[in-house]
Amino acid sequence: MKTLLLFVLFMLIAILVILLAIVLGDSGAWYFAWLVGTGMIVLITAAGGAMLDAQDEHAALETEAGTNAKRA
Amino acid sequence: MHDITVVDLSRWQFAITVLYHFLFVPLTLGLSFMLAAMETVYVTTGKQIYREIAQFWGKLFLINFALGVATGLTMEFEFGTNWSFYSSFVGDIFGAPLAIEGLMAFFLEATFVGMMVFGWDRLKRGQHLAVTYMVALGSNLSALWILIANSFMQNPQGATFNPATMRMELTSFTQLIFSHDAQAKFVHTSIAGYVTGAIFVAGISAWYMLKGRHIELARRSFRMAVLFGVLSTAGVITLGDALGFVGGQAQPSKLAAMEGLWKSEAAPMPFNLVAFPSQKEQVNHDQLQIPYALSLLVTHSMDGTVPGFDKLEQQAVGRIKNGIPAVEALQTLASKPGDAAALAQFRAHEKDLGYGFLVQRYAEDVSKATDAEIGTAARDIIPEVAPIFWSFRAMVAMGLAMLAFFVLAVIFSLRNDIVRQRWFLKIAVWMIPVPFLACEAGWLVAELGRQPWTVYGVLPTWMSASTHSVGYMIFSLVGFVGLYTVFIIAEMYLMLRAIRKGPDEPHGDDPDRDSDPMLNNSAKAGPFAGYAEG
Ligand code: HEM
Repeated sequence: MKTLLLFVLFMLIAILVILLAIVLGDSGAWYFAWLVGTGMIVLITAAGGAMLDAQDEHAALETEAGTNAKRA
Repeated sequence: MHDITVVDLSRWQFAITVLYHFLFVPLTLGLSFMLAAMETVYVTTGKQIYREIAQFWGKLFLINFALGVATGLTMEFEFGTNWSFYSSFVGDIFGAPLAIEGLMAFFLEATFVGMMVFGWDRLKRGQHLAVTYMVALGSNLSALWILIANSFMQNPQGATFNPATMRMELTSFTQLIFSHDAQAKFVHTSIAGYVTGAIFVAGISAWYMLKGRHIELARRSFRMAVLFGVLSTAGVITLGDALGFVGGQAQPSKLAAMEGLWKSEAAPMPFNLVAFPSQKEQVNHDQLQIPYALSLLVTHSMDGTVPGFDKLEQQAVGRIKNGIPAVEALQTLASKPGDAAALAQFRAHEKDLGYGFLVQRYAEDVSKATDAEIGTAARDIIPEVAPIFWSFRAMVAMGLAMLAFFVLAVIFSLRNDIVRQRWFLKIAVWMIPVPFLACEAGWLVAELGRQPWTVYGVLPTWMSASTHSVGYMIFSLVGFVGLYTVFIIAEMYLMLRAIRKGPDEPHGDDPDRDSDPMLNNSAKAGPFAGYAEG
């Protein structure tokens, strides 16, 4: 039941987005570009943050591996 | 007849209040979406440090937001108090977006800001994230409406003058909101705000790194800010070009002022990189030109041209002569409403009504306007060229400098090398004022370039002001300058205090460190060991 509700919700959002894109793409191309561009900027920014954590974790593992190798 | 000193003082008052106000606005526009990005990482990764990051920058956002609203409020009233003729003339059109802007700012945005601030422990993670996105959307959408109103002043669309009511009336709401000017202006301004938010976060994070404080927060904030910034700066430049293209077609005199174009030239036109325009002599001194570049920049082709002031002034003479019968017809209709002959005369000349108003400043009885008076009125269509020319170049130069800064910052940050680049961190701190100055320069171009009109081609500025006394205007001007200066000082004080204090944390950088072995390791053994102790 929960899956069905989620499916309906996401379908509604998808249809809304398609309608918005059609209307805005026609008469408000710059507004549309702003919506899509802002979404993209926010997501790339968020990904950049997550990537830094991954880089740190990788560096920490490498340092640890180096120390272990020296000890061995 | 309006006292020109009162008109000038009203202009000064509006310029000063709006320039103060716009010191707060771009940060709200940009920081709100940055908060959304930071919180997105918190919700998706569950890492506590991102909650701290979002809360810390959220505190600075709140200080800025409060003062932005306070300085913005007075401006809405200023239209009525100082620009009453303007307000009654175009109120039907201008009022609607202004009212929607008020609703967006005070209902949508302010409500969600409250939930964002007080909801951290009351809402679920996902709910709080949705609220933060609503704050970001709300602040940008409230800017959208005021920019639509401003675009109507730059390029009046979707309205017509009704001689029965003697005012402009809205004919098409969709034309008003979807005008190319409104679209390009909104996107350019909103994204200029993103650039401002990015430089602000990057600069303060750089300061923390230089001081060796809150390193984990600062590195993450810096990384996110520079990615946000590099994309936004590329966007603001692209959209600046679009705005120049769209605006240049609607307002050729503004474009001519931006480019210092006194005389029309054949294609391909050269671009004045440096020049010293003389308003009196109508020439540029000591100009340094790039051949062909202007045609390419403003028409996107090698054989495109744009008119210089010589041509525009000539056209204005013709339009003033055509507009005079429209003003005469209005004068008849004012005393004899419904007069069919006057109405027909008005309809035949209404296209140039605004130009007829221009000459009324010099000849109250327009039917007796001399050629000399018409010539003087036609020369009025040339705005103050030098400040527009230089403000435009300053904005573009700062845009290019920020692009270079962000590209380098992204390289250092992606290489995870930024903490060691102390020279660059110092530059990042000094970059903080740059986007604020670029935004102010942008508004100077937009608004000085629109002169002598409040509504381009329709309503001259000299007619738009209220009929206050000079004493009243000086008194209120001094009052506003004093009050707004106090606001700025209060903002700087609160911001600096919050920045010095840093994020709320029990001790060290990351209260979650003990519970997160990976973070714990990375801070102690990673490339930033030593820095993290603060
Ligand atoms: C680098 C290339 C840029 C170009 C070609 C450009 C172009 C323009 C133009 C033509 C205008 C006048 C709009 C009008 O007539 O209404 C303008 C206004 C403005 N610009 Fe820029 N701009 C650039 C960069 C920037 C940057 C970097 C910022 C700030 C971070 C900025 C912020 C503004 C603002 C706030 C306005 C006034 C509001 C508006 O009219 O949109 N611009 N810009």
